[in-house]
Amino acid sequence: MIAGLLFFALFTFLSGCGLLPIGPLTQAPEVPDTAMVTGVPFFAQDELQCGPAALAMALNWSGVAVQPSDLSPEVYSPDLKGSLQSALIGSARRHGRVAYPITGSEALLAEVAAGHPVIVLVNLSFFWYPKWHYAVVIGFDQPQGEVILHSGLTAREILSTRTFMNIWRRSDYWGLLVLAPDQLPVGSNEMEWLAAIAGLEQTGQWQAASTGYATALKRWKASFTAWMGLGNSRYHLQDLDGSAEAFHQATLLQPENGMAFNNLAHVLSEQGQRAAALIAAQRAVDLGGPLLDTFRQTLEELKRNETPKN
Amino acid sequence: MLKNILKPVSLCLVFSFLLLDLSVQMANAQMVDTNSVIAAQQQTENRERAVAFLGREDVQKVMVQQGIDIAEAQNRVASLSDVELAKMVNTMDQLPAGGDSGVGAVIGAVVFIFVVLLITDLLGLTHVFPFVDSQR
Repeated sequence: MIAGLLFFALFTFLSGCGLLPIGPLTQAPEVPDTAMVTGVPFFAQDELQCGPAALAMALNWSGVAVQPSDLSPEVYSPDLKGSLQSALIGSARRHGRVAYPITGSEALLAEVAAGHPVIVLVNLSFFWYPKWHYAVVIGFDQPQGEVILHSGLTAREILSTRTFMNIWRRSDYWGLLVLAPDQLPVGSNEMEWLAAIAGLEQTGQWQAASTGYATALKRWKASFTAWMGLGNSRYHLQDLDGSAEAFHQATLLQPENGMAFNNLAHVLSEQGQRAAALIAAQRAVDLGGPLLDTFRQTLEELKRNETPKN
Repeated sequence: MLKNILKPVSLCLVFSFLLLDLSVQMANAQMVDTNSVIAAQQQTENRERAVAFLGREDVQKVMVQQGIDIAEAQNRVASLSDVELAKMVNTMDQLPAGGDSGVGAVIGAVVFIFVVLLITDLLGLTHVFPFVDSQR
């Protein structure tokens, strides 16, 4: 029995950590050797409340004034004695902020160097006795081999790169950015950003979503999806003119795609432009595609001269 | 002999067709929400990437080695389901960018997935249709 345990422990050490050589954090060439994010307030966590504390630090940095205790009901699961990553993401969105997950040290250093604090999930213990913990990375010093975090009860805790990478590896290097919707991450990818913004729609944060899509369009001018999202969010904000304009732009970018025409038809109809709405709806049906049934329904309802309901 | 098994086999077939997922999106007059737009764009992108991948010279070499008809393979991309396509593209993502160590193995893996999809598809067709034909 004891021999078995010892063997298990040995095996764990061998496969878990310690023997694998871990070099310095990989770093993109344009990223400086040291960086420190300013303006990240520190909240010492209450017991088991690292999730709310870490999120509160990131939210306050991005301009949302909240206390960890305000976030606890949204984030902390008493049954699990902890906070799920998805709960952090959902809560950030409910406060009108973009939750943008990142992975790996290259992305981490690039974001911190750009002045974005990163929430990281680390396992302070071994995988067979996990002690999951959220902390906020606010700086690093590559020549010294140090990572600086707000963590637990310690503001500006300094960890060696080696230790940090060991405990972070166990979450597959999971990190989370919490950004205002007009602030793009450094390494942002168009579709990932738009997916993060679409998440705001689901929590009814239409204003923030609208800003997020507009921000995307500054960087990716020909983004069909961003125009669609902008049209949808403006529609929910009762900005029918703006919405019609956005869907119109989308039809210009992908004239072969019925989705933009379908949505345009709805908006035109609500604007009282029935004839134009019918043309757009007919166009969507002609173009077809996987959503043909939706397009047909739109056309039929318009023909029955009803205002389509959402 | 054939008559005897006809009924159970047809029942079995009918039942297995019922299991097919034919769920069609509920027809409902509505605006297409942004998540659906993203999903659709992702599909298109995946399909383009898969076609481009199969067009690569090193990939075609592997396919020829395994006796796969290249033209047929490229046609097949159109008939892959979204899930199958995602599987293929995920494996493609593991290709190291630029480097050449292990590229052959990953190409082999993608081609293998592709062959598996190809074969399951062919089995599904060749087992069902001749049987139906023979009943006439």
